[in-house]
Amino acid sequence: MHQVRKVTEDIVWVGANEHRLALFENIHPLTTGVSYNSYLLLDEKTVLFDTVDWAVCRQYLENVDYVLNGRELDYLVINHLEPDHAASMDEIILRYPKVKIISTEKAFMMMSQFGFDVVDRFIEVKEGDTYNFGKHTVAFVEAPMVHWPEAMVTLDVTDGVLFSADAFGSFIALDGVLFADEVDFDRDYLDEARRYLTNIVGKYGPQVQHLIGKAAPLLPQVKFIAPLHGPVWRKNFDYIIGKYDKWSKYEPEVDGVLVIYASMYGNTESVAVSLASKLREKGIKDVKVRDVSNTHVSWLVSETFKYSHVVLASVTYNLGMYPLIHNYLQDLKALNVQNRTFAVIENGTWAPQAGDKIREFLDNELKQMTVLSDEVTINSSMSETTGAVELDRLADSIVESFKQ
Amino acid sequence: MLFSTTEAHEKLRKEIREFAEAEVKPIAFMLDQENEFPHEVVAKMAKKGWMGIPFPKEYGGMGLDNVSYSIAVEELSRVDGGTGVILSAHSSLCLWPIFAYGNEKQKQKYLVPLCKGEKIGAFGLTEPDAGSDAGGTKTTADPEGDYYILNGNKIFITNAGPAETYVVFAMTQPGKGTRGISAFIVEKGWEGFTFGDHYDKLGIRSSATCELIFNNVKVPKENLLGQEGEGFRIAMATLDGGRIGIASQAMGIAQGAYEEALTYAKERIQFGKAIGFQQSIANKLADMATKIRCARYLCYSAAVQKDAHVPYAMEAAMAKLFCGDLAVEVATEAVQIFGGTGYLKGMPVERMYRDAKITQIYEGTQEIQRTVIASYIVGKPPKETTAASKPKNNAITGERKKEIFKEGSAKDKVNALVTALMKDGYDFSVGIDLNTPIVDADRVVSVGKGIGEKKNMELVKELAKNVGAALGSSRPVAESLRYLPLNRYVGMSGQKFVGNLYIAVGISGAGQHLKGIKNATTIVAINNNANAAIFANCDYGIVGDLFEIVPLLSKALNTGEKKAMEQVKKIKRATPKKLPPVNKHFVCLGCGYEYDPELGDEDGAVSPGTIFENVPDTWICPDCGEEKSQFIPER
Repeated sequence: MHQVRKVTEDIVWVGANEHRLALFENIHPLTTGVSYNSYLLLDEKTVLFDTVDWAVCRQYLENVDYVLNGRELDYLVINHLEPDHAASMDEIILRYPKVKIISTEKAFMMMSQFGFDVVDRFIEVKEGDTYNFGKHTVAFVEAPMVHWPEAMVTLDVTDGVLFSADAFGSFIALDGVLFADEVDFDRDYLDEARRYLTNIVGKYGPQVQHLIGKAAPLLPQVKFIAPLHGPVWRKNFDYIIGKYDKWSKYEPEVDGVLVIYASMYGNTESVAVSLASKLREKGIKDVKVRDVSNTHVSWLVSETFKYSHVVLASVTYNLGMYPLIHNYLQDLKALNVQNRTFAVIENGTWAPQAGDKIREFLDNELKQMTVLSDEVTINSSMSETTGAVELDRLADSIVESFKQ
Repeated sequence: MLFSTTEAHEKLRKEIREFAEAEVKPIAFMLDQENEFPHEVVAKMAKKGWMGIPFPKEYGGMGLDNVSYSIAVEELSRVDGGTGVILSAHSSLCLWPIFAYGNEKQKQKYLVPLCKGEKIGAFGLTEPDAGSDAGGTKTTADPEGDYYILNGNKIFITNAGPAETYVVFAMTQPGKGTRGISAFIVEKGWEGFTFGDHYDKLGIRSSATCELIFNNVKVPKENLLGQEGEGFRIAMATLDGGRIGIASQAMGIAQGAYEEALTYAKERIQFGKAIGFQQSIANKLADMATKIRCARYLCYSAAVQKDAHVPYAMEAAMAKLFCGDLAVEVATEAVQIFGGTGYLKGMPVERMYRDAKITQIYEGTQEIQRTVIASYIVGKPPKETTAASKPKNNAITGERKKEIFKEGSAKDKVNALVTALMKDGYDFSVGIDLNTPIVDADRVVSVGKGIGEKKNMELVKELAKNVGAALGSSRPVAESLRYLPLNRYVGMSGQKFVGNLYIAVGISGAGQHLKGIKNATTIVAINNNANAAIFANCDYGIVGDLFEIVPLLSKALNTGEKKAMEQVKKIKRATPKKLPPVNKHFVCLGCGYEYDPELGDEDGAVSPGTIFENVPDTWICPDCGEEKSQFIPER
């Protein structure tokens, strides 16, 4: 059965929802699914904007077929060639053999690498080119390294629809939703939008900024932002663009503390939670505690983008930090996260080393991370007489650092 | 392209030259002889607005360019190098950092009166152990409440004494080298801020130079210039600009000496004609004139680049290097042309000869100028990564003073220790109970196996009482000897001391013990083995027999019944916010590769230290092959 919704009178969402995939990009867990968005323009010519992942191709073909209602497909615009959007283009070409493919030079090269034969039907476009399909005219803006080099965004000047590729996308399957204002985005979607963006595009902050800068003059014409995952925006542009601006500048969204602990037998956990209580007691309103062992790193990364402060509490493991903490830090490095304030708690029964190792990593491998000089060492466990004073001092030091 | 100053520049030059001829020249010899600062001259310059030439009118400056400023220093120095440096140190070294890094409140409070010349400014960076290498800065600024407590001294400070406002550099994060330095605005007259004697210098004797001494000076937190840890960067940027000032001074001295020599060469008749017409003298004059012209353009072009906000550090260093050497060369040849007459006091060239030398030394020696210039040409050497080349800090307890008292008798050593502790602010009229838990204790006297028999514990108890401290021990004293209960031994596995004063008696300093006291504010070691690890981890130490030292120390601190101590107030070090790199990183739009100037790209033949702008246009992204034009700067 088809599942389609109108974005404007002439532009229809024909994408599909994915509920059976466990790991996005085979690495980031999906808990509430994801949508692959594709849009179909019905003008004098018919134009499809991007396709969907192979896994949901059947539903997709049904949607496209329904909306075309017997018409030929004239053009397929590929804004982003990553297979979660482009994998179905082969099938589209087979079914609509007259279709011409519009995309960038780099995308063309990649299509041949992925094995799509488009040589005779390829139309190459560059930054600033426009194309007319009858009533509708579109303009192309290159968006290199957001987060692939071939990416572009396309603005339908006639209806003011910006096909924004992966930018402004989110996890969570749409399941009938089309517009962001149909849901409580801030409550229900923001965390997953952040997790999607920061883990997938986090590294490319400067490139996102570059794109935001280029797109700024076009914004007055934009009435809809139509991404390749998640809901379409037609209101509150300042809200979502504001979030993107912060994430891509590596600025925290909230003044608050993320406490990540690695605990083998509960002693480090006890100290981490005790610290969280102290921080709340001292008036820090937003404190989030996470167990590194049962929280996938994609959430930890996402929340590191959100919070201004991070406390790392780690046991010593093989004379170093806990492997999962190391993995988390490696991810922060890969994703270019910067400008956060860290505090460190280490535990060790005979030779506590985690603290020094974490501090070293933060200092040498990451950019502009401030590490508070107070550090707490736990010897196996903490009690009122062993380490409580230092923990209080650390809590004070964290509170103090908010004032700077 | 016409290399020329503007009409306005030349009008200003004429004005300052007339002033210098009329007001400075007649007294220059007297100032030199008497080592006297020209207060009246400076006051008159202030009236004319010359104390704030290159700063905006809204802050009381003249709103002119740096070429105008260079001309002013040049013209004053042409007559008297000392007067020239007064203006240079004031403008470049004090006003500029406040202008560039100060917040609005600081600018209104300090920059405005400085620009108007109501106050004179100075700059305090150099120390006995931190000349060319500012990383050796020992002056400290410890946060305490709303203040930083400044301790240490600064030497060779120009304008020290007459100046009211000082930009001073101090360590806020000891052990972090240049990254631990912060800049402060300090006012003359604050309690504990005093001056050493005026130096008796070879030249520029009309400028005031002396030592700044800071003894627990309370600097309000709002007087931090820039952010914590930014001090070294502020100092280096300030010196970049200051070099234009010193280059101008050197060029002015050369110009003055040259003019004196030219006039004399035309008057002095030998072998029937003026010596200026003798080829040997004429050649000297021709060389002088040629090189002075080179010097002037080097100097002005650096100033123009500064005004245009394009990088100018290398050009300023080149100007200072060339002008400094030139001043010495021209002054030497000028004395030569004067012959015996030039060797006499009272002759301007004799004074200029002495004045010139300093321009090769201060504002970065000529050797340092070359280092700076070379860093822009060949880049910085790659970061040393081998373990051997890393600076070693063996102290487990972090950065410590390691002051070991060696002079005189045991009593002298003990007295020196007590004096040092009192100076650090320890008040021995108050104290805590002997049995205060170690973690809560402000002070602990701790004993090691060196104590010997159990009866000797009385000695240490007595000392703890007199120090006003709780009693602690090393692990073996509690675990094996059982002189104290287990909950009183200090160490990583035992109790951690986080208070202020820790006195280790007969403790050699095992690693696990030292880890337990790394948060102590002050560590004192008393041990008979000079090689004990504790001495590398202490602030103060006495090498000696504890049975001799401990009773003496007990006696020295015995103030009778101790008053109860108020709430423990621990000096806490703030953690400075990290600074972004000086040179921007650039990222590739083809793949996301990040170009780091510190690393360069060895495979692409770009040496480490090359800023992106200097990477050849033919260079391509090492990861994906995009051209250089496809890179964008990181924010």
